[in-house]
Amino acid sequence: MKFRVEREVLAEALGAAARVASTRNNAMPALSGVRIEVTGDKLLLSCTDNDLSVQFVLNVGGQEDGVVVASAKLMSDIVRTLPEDKVTVETIGETVSVSSGRAQFTVPTFAATDFPNIVQASAPPVTLAANLFADALRQVVRAASSDMQRLALTGVLMSAEPDGLRLVATDSYRLAVRDLPGSNILGHGEKVVIPSRALNELQRLLASGEEASLCLAGDRATFTVGQATLSTSLLQIEFPNYRQLIQPSYPNTLTTAREPLLEAIRRCRILARETTPVRLEMTATSLKLIVVTQDVGNTVEELDATLVGSDTTVGFNPEYLSAGIEAVTGDEITIQTTDPIKPAVLRGVGAPDYLYLVMPQRLTN
Amino acid sequence: MRLVVARCSVVYEGRLDASLPEANRLLMRKADGCIAIHADGGAYKPLNWMNAPNTVVEHDDKWVVTNPKGETLTIYLHEVFSDSSHELGEDPGLTKDGVEAHLQELLADLPESIEPGLTLIRREYPTAVGPVDLLCRDASGQTVAVEIKRRGEIDGVEQLTRYIDCLHADTSLGNIRGIFVAQSIKPQARVLAESRGMGWCEVDYDELRGKRTDELRLF
Repeated sequence: MKFRVEREVLAEALGAAARVASTRNNAMPALSGVRIEVTGDKLLLSCTDNDLSVQFVLNVGGQEDGVVVASAKLMSDIVRTLPEDKVTVETIGETVSVSSGRAQFTVPTFAATDFPNIVQASAPPVTLAANLFADALRQVVRAASSDMQRLALTGVLMSAEPDGLRLVATDSYRLAVRDLPGSNILGHGEKVVIPSRALNELQRLLASGEEASLCLAGDRATFTVGQATLSTSLLQIEFPNYRQLIQPSYPNTLTTAREPLLEAIRRCRILARETTPVRLEMTATSLKLIVVTQDVGNTVEELDATLVGSDTTVGFNPEYLSAGIEAVTGDEITIQTTDPIKPAVLRGVGAPDYLYLVMPQRLTN
Repeated sequence: MRLVVARCSVVYEGRLDASLPEANRLLMRKADGCIAIHADGGAYKPLNWMNAPNTVVEHDDKWVVTNPKGETLTIYLHEVFSDSSHELGEDPGLTKDGVEAHLQELLADLPESIEPGLTLIRREYPTAVGPVDLLCRDASGQTVAVEIKRRGEIDGVEQLTRYIDCLHADTSLGNIRGIFVAQSIKPQARVLAESRGMGWCEVDYDELRGKRTDELRLF
């Protein structure tokens, strides 16, 4: 196998592929590898950890057809740092050589037969607007859990709603819900839970395309964006019943400018330790943010705001709160509360398609 | 522990007939009597083995191992390269991480959280291939072997299969079925368990230990 390609093109694809390659499977070392296959002037790069896989098709100057599997991380690190614009990759015996300019690397290979077949969902694809879907993922995936002990919470629920598609994620401390009205990529009443790790990778891929397609079949979902194909197993697990958490109305609604609030919380976080809440004191005309951290210091900042309802004080985990404010769109944001220990809801003013529900932290005197 | 490296061939006669052609292998004869024949690969799994209790008759050129079920393993020694014995003493056993050990304790107290009507016979029930986490009896009186993991993956189902195979040797336990228990179980592990006639059950660790902290949660 031998080919020549632009360094940037290969580095970008290898970087994305290497993130998917398994780094912890000692029983199957080939899973830490990238499969490189050249046929004519087409290069197919594949990485998988058996649950998630990604493939890239690149145009290259093919000189000799063949297949090789080498460490994905090594290949990515090498190509990313090569000195010249053009890279030549070729197999030499049991090794693969990567050269550019006067730099040349030789790394060992895995048996290509040890690399598993990539399974993709085969069904008629449906089309997604890449930027819209990427924006929805940006708003929702952040609320998914990374705790594998609560597997259902590590996924993002995609469900067909009467007026479109809904994406939902929660880690039990916050919940993000994004509606995509008019999007009918799922059948009536259909719902799937997709691992958030796969959707994190998809977000990156969507940045490079205008259109994406989705195939859903059996226990797999396959997304295609440009020359990249990402395929993931679905979580065969019941997503928690989140609907009961969203009330139709809240007694207190505070409205304030989004960006100044975000900046103020960022400043507060300088003093906040892991468990220190940021205290939000809401009154008719202002919002006061207070952080008191023993032995570290205190901060108070006041912002203009409008409150409809009763004066109230609620404490939040500053990280979760700022993640929600970041995810909301629009110049102004509303924070709706019931009492200091019930979930609060963040929405962008004029942006009804997204809500971020966050659980307060108990405040001590 | 006796370790013999030898060029050998092996014939097994029992539930089926199987043989290993002549090759260099490691023979392990453990203090408890079990014998395992290993190649230089294949991870932990021997090519062939016979669990205790068994009887070994050593001849100059062969070992004949028989067990009460009438199975026979004959190891023909063509050339012995090394033969050594080591006193390993009592093994302290596998140290499980805190959560897994605590899960076992909790489920031993609350076997009904695995299946209604389940009662505990013994924790860490000993077998020749290691202790079964919980040995229980179900509402109908059938013996149930329970393997507990933090994360339920295929290797846990394989482990439970080995325990059940081993427990079948004890006829006083009657018919035995297995239940694989974990906080979360991978779909592949569920399918494998079901294909082997085992049950599986996901349990909530926090719920079991009645964790009530000041932390406010949505779920």
